[in-house]
Amino acid sequence: MDKMLLGRYINGDSLIHRMDPRGKLFLSFYFIVIVFLCNNWETYVLMTAMVMLFVKLSDISLGFFIKGVRPLIWLILFTVLLQIFFSSGGHVYWHWGPFTVTDSGMTNGVFVFCRFVLIIFMSTLLTLTTTPIEISDGLELLLKPLTKIKVPVYEIALMLSIALRFVPTLMDETTKIMNAQRARGVNFGEGNLIKQIKSVIPLLIPLFVSSFNRAEDLATAMEARGYHGGEGRTKYRKQEWKRNDTIAVILFVVLTIALVVLRK
Amino acid sequence: MSIHIEKLNYVYQSGTPFSHRALTDVSLDIADGSYTAIIGHTGSGKSTLLQHLNGLLKPTAGTLTVAGNKITPETKNKELNELRRHVGFIFQFPEAQLFEETVLKDIAFAPKNFGKSDEEAEDLAAKMAELVGLPASVLQNSPFELSGGQMRRVAIAGVLAMEPQILVLDEPTAGLDPKGRLEMMEMFERLHQQQNLTIILVTHQMNDVANYADHVLVMEEGRLIADSTPQEVFSDPKWLKGHHLGLPQTTAFAAKLADKGVPFKNLPLTEEQLAAQLAELLAGKGDEQHG
Repeated sequence: MDKMLLGRYINGDSLIHRMDPRGKLFLSFYFIVIVFLCNNWETYVLMTAMVMLFVKLSDISLGFFIKGVRPLIWLILFTVLLQIFFSSGGHVYWHWGPFTVTDSGMTNGVFVFCRFVLIIFMSTLLTLTTTPIEISDGLELLLKPLTKIKVPVYEIALMLSIALRFVPTLMDETTKIMNAQRARGVNFGEGNLIKQIKSVIPLLIPLFVSSFNRAEDLATAMEARGYHGGEGRTKYRKQEWKRNDTIAVILFVVLTIALVVLRK
Repeated sequence: MSIHIEKLNYVYQSGTPFSHRALTDVSLDIADGSYTAIIGHTGSGKSTLLQHLNGLLKPTAGTLTVAGNKITPETKNKELNELRRHVGFIFQFPEAQLFEETVLKDIAFAPKNFGKSDEEAEDLAAKMAELVGLPASVLQNSPFELSGGQMRRVAIAGVLAMEPQILVLDEPTAGLDPKGRLEMMEMFERLHQQQNLTIILVTHQMNDVANYADHVLVMEEGRLIADSTPQEVFSDPKWLKGHHLGLPQTTAFAAKLADKGVPFKNLPLTEEQLAAQLAELLAGKGDEQHG
């Protein structure tokens, strides 16, 4: 459990930590969009330099970001291999049946790899420097205009914050129940496939039961404190748009222009 | 089935920025058939220590020997199963571990895992259900239909059904009403007496320590700071207060009397001891006045 770093907040007071969550959320999504503008070495180098700058500004060691890539490494390698073996065009190095390795295929492979890593670094940056509650508040504020077309924005944000809030609780609970069942002679992750699937039942059923119980308790506790939906609810944590955020937005505008100029 | 622990160290998430030392150089012995209470604050390392006793955690450094099984940092996970067969572990709020369709099946789960046949396991389950005071009428019900107190009994029966020689209890009475608490503690005492079960109890209830234990371990910030008898630990209220620990009700009452000048020979731990000492003192005083 302790290896899960994706989505873990690390306390700090860096420039990035202090940004408005709305700005960070929006720019992270925007970054993912403009990564797709890159199509040559110059643009990828520029984007990598930007991401490294943000990592530096966040005061969080690079190791955390690299750990964020690890869970997805197989997906990335698979996509890279697809690119390498199935791209056509350019000089052919090797050829066998449907597989061809060409120089443009190799370049594409490297580009896809970079694209994945850049996107993961950027989303890891968001979750490492922003508390879950800030993220869901920020999302709620960003999506607020959608209430006009009857999108249940408050409910979505509430569901999101409850889900995020209970991830650690659920993980603790899982460890606890796993321990209890281990003490009763269950061996998790051992034996053949059927045995392994069977060993999950004594874990999942108690988890479901306690989640339902907790959900009911939570609903009661919220109603007891006067919760009646998001309409007209005021916020204790105000999110403030500061000069830094404006500067960041300008930086991204400049970045976009540079990308458009540099790309093929 | 004694326990011997030597220089046990444990570090959570070792090697990460979240690394956190939970146990430092803990060495202790627990004798066969003893009733040991472990006390100490939340976060003092009690639960971490307990989890070593049946191999849920492996030491970062040091060794422990439980019922003849030696565990070192290099012990393989497969070897731990043999240990778990001997050590029953009742967790805090054990009712969270119930999952089977019927009470009987849930109690029979552990013995089946440890190699008993279905029939043997269910016979054992029925016996254990009776032992913990579950009415036979509920055995075919779903455990989730029972009351909280009964669910806990089912969970405890499920651990006892492993027929362990060592029983580890992590605050077994948390969340029970006073009557349920007393019944539960009396039941463990009965098991201790009748089956010569070695019991290790983690608790915040000093009364339970005074009433049942014959050996006390005090933990603080991952270290063992006292290893003695209840009599000795509770004889020094100042030391206890310095470590933010309380006294059993009876002893606290006696300490107040002692402050007012009642000359106790030693501070009584249980109501019987208090009554006996008071009776003796009053009789003595009576004699003086008359004499």
